[in-house]
Amino acid sequence: MQAKARVREARLYLGKRYGMGLLFMLPWIIGFAMFVLIPISWSLFMSFNKVQVAVGGFKYEWIGMRNYRDAFLKDNVFPIELITYIQEMLLMVPIIVIFALLISLMLNQKFPGRFIYRALFFLPVIFATGQVLSELFLQGAGDIPFLEQYNLLPLVEEYVGKQFAETVMAVLGKAILILWYSGVQILIFIAGFQTISPTIYEAVRIDGASPWDSFWKITLPACVPFISLNVLYTIIDLFTFPLNPVLKHIKDNMFKVDTGYGYASALAWIYFGLIFVLIALVLWLFNRSLRTRRVH
Amino acid sequence: MITAMKTELAKAKRSVSNVLWSRRSQKVKVMVMGRSLSDGLLAKLVIYLLLSIVAYLYLQPILYMVSTMFKNMSDLLDPTVKWIPREITWENVTKAIKGLQYPEALRNTALISVTCSLVQVIICAMTGYALARLALPFKGLFTALIILTFLIPPQVIIIPLYVIFSKLGLLNSIFVFLIPAIFGQGLKGALFILIFRQFFKAQPPSLEEAAKLDGASTARLFFGIMLPLARSACLVVFLFSFIWYWNMYYEPSMFLTKGFTPLSIRLDMLEEVLNPSLLGNTRTIVNPITESTKMAAAFLIILPPILVFMFLQRWFVSGIERTGIVE
Repeated sequence: MQAKARVREARLYLGKRYGMGLLFMLPWIIGFAMFVLIPISWSLFMSFNKVQVAVGGFKYEWIGMRNYRDAFLKDNVFPIELITYIQEMLLMVPIIVIFALLISLMLNQKFPGRFIYRALFFLPVIFATGQVLSELFLQGAGDIPFLEQYNLLPLVEEYVGKQFAETVMAVLGKAILILWYSGVQILIFIAGFQTISPTIYEAVRIDGASPWDSFWKITLPACVPFISLNVLYTIIDLFTFPLNPVLKHIKDNMFKVDTGYGYASALAWIYFGLIFVLIALVLWLFNRSLRTRRVH
Repeated sequence: MITAMKTELAKAKRSVSNVLWSRRSQKVKVMVMGRSLSDGLLAKLVIYLLLSIVAYLYLQPILYMVSTMFKNMSDLLDPTVKWIPREITWENVTKAIKGLQYPEALRNTALISVTCSLVQVIICAMTGYALARLALPFKGLFTALIILTFLIPPQVIIIPLYVIFSKLGLLNSIFVFLIPAIFGQGLKGALFILIFRQFFKAQPPSLEEAAKLDGASTARLFFGIMLPLARSACLVVFLFSFIWYWNMYYEPSMFLTKGFTPLSIRLDMLEEVLNPSLLGNTRTIVNPITESTKMAAAFLIILPPILVFMFLQRWFVSGIERTGIVE
């Protein structure tokens, strides 16, 4: 009797304490269960099965890891495209982040008309997603104009070796469209600069530091968290880059009769796993660099 | 005696003018070079120049789009006509409007973007507020799960989602996007929740304490005080959400394929609409005949969000700086 009363009291207490918070979270919790948890476990389950569309639903046939094995051993498109795209991505991420850093440094200066320029550099965010972008790319509107004039290919081949030259040229070929992906990053950097107090710059200037020094000693270290944020954001953004060949391959396999949903799910999971490892690696690196600096 | 004084005087004058001159030149030097790297005229000139060059490269594809849009057939095939067409033709625009069924598709797209974004602002603000301020069990776990949902590529879950939506009978209607948005799983909803969480965390707690002392309930406190306080964050989230819903292509290409189709899907189908004889296999080739029509269509699609952005630009950029999105 007493135990029951105590349980009820505890429940009442918990309700009073957490009720409002849970109520505010409730839509998200339901949504998470319905639109994330169920689909994600379902797709994990499908990736271990051969899925066939039959009358009135799916027919599952448990095949264990075979889909995953096939992806690397039988499929002669997927591993190549995956490796090429990851190579491209490793090249694109630093380009985007460094470009965003340079542009935001300039946009952060006080000069008349900077609002216009800020708006200009944010403009691509409006349409740098989806169909319009791939339409522009199809027509070759995104390459740097001097690329063809100066015939860079032999030069690139000489410097980075033959096997990487293709990647480098592919990235250069859509350089401007890639730079379009830096709109949000520029905004994050500009907002990040506002967190550095101007009195620090004043102080080091009085101490005789040149602007060059103050960039390397103050601006850049203070920016490390934003750089890591931007690197992460860029990686996630490039996941769903509309010109991504891996995603196209996954989609194609979905509707093929002999491969089907099960195989496509396995491909998607492999892709997800790789990106996840990449993100974990970046987080670990930045955490370590932050920690070592704090020790010094 | 007098001559000696005269020479003395002349010397003094010279040295004064020397000092004056060097000070003036110092001033000019400061004006041109600046005290620090950024406030001199020269630095400003360099910044203007660099930014203008980059901006030109940056905007070139758009210029290309606009110029191609007004070219007629002969201008398009003539290599001497690069940027400015010989005569401006509106034919492509009218063709694009017809091919996209522009008024109807525009209405569909606007309906999806506006309603879903509004819902997303409110729901994400609620969730973010709960995470930032309310007592909640497993708060760390919830935050981690939210970050995880941001990382999951849509390709992983699109098939089960398709099945769920078709079982619920929601395919080819606005509810495919509205219902996830109501339950906090809208397009990039996780990012918006984190933005709101950051914003509410940065507010001083004294405001809520005062309201609580006055006897306001949590719901009243949130909708009456905190949400209006978060105006700038709301605007930022609304605009981002609006733009991303407007431009999304992958999800509608699965869920909205006939009947209720947005602009991005219509653009995808435009080639077939314009050229019924070329069934299938039209994505990978560039067809010079339809090129300018497609550019006109692309321009028509990005025109409304550009107008919205131009109108709200001022509040938007300062809003981002004030939200403390980055901590």
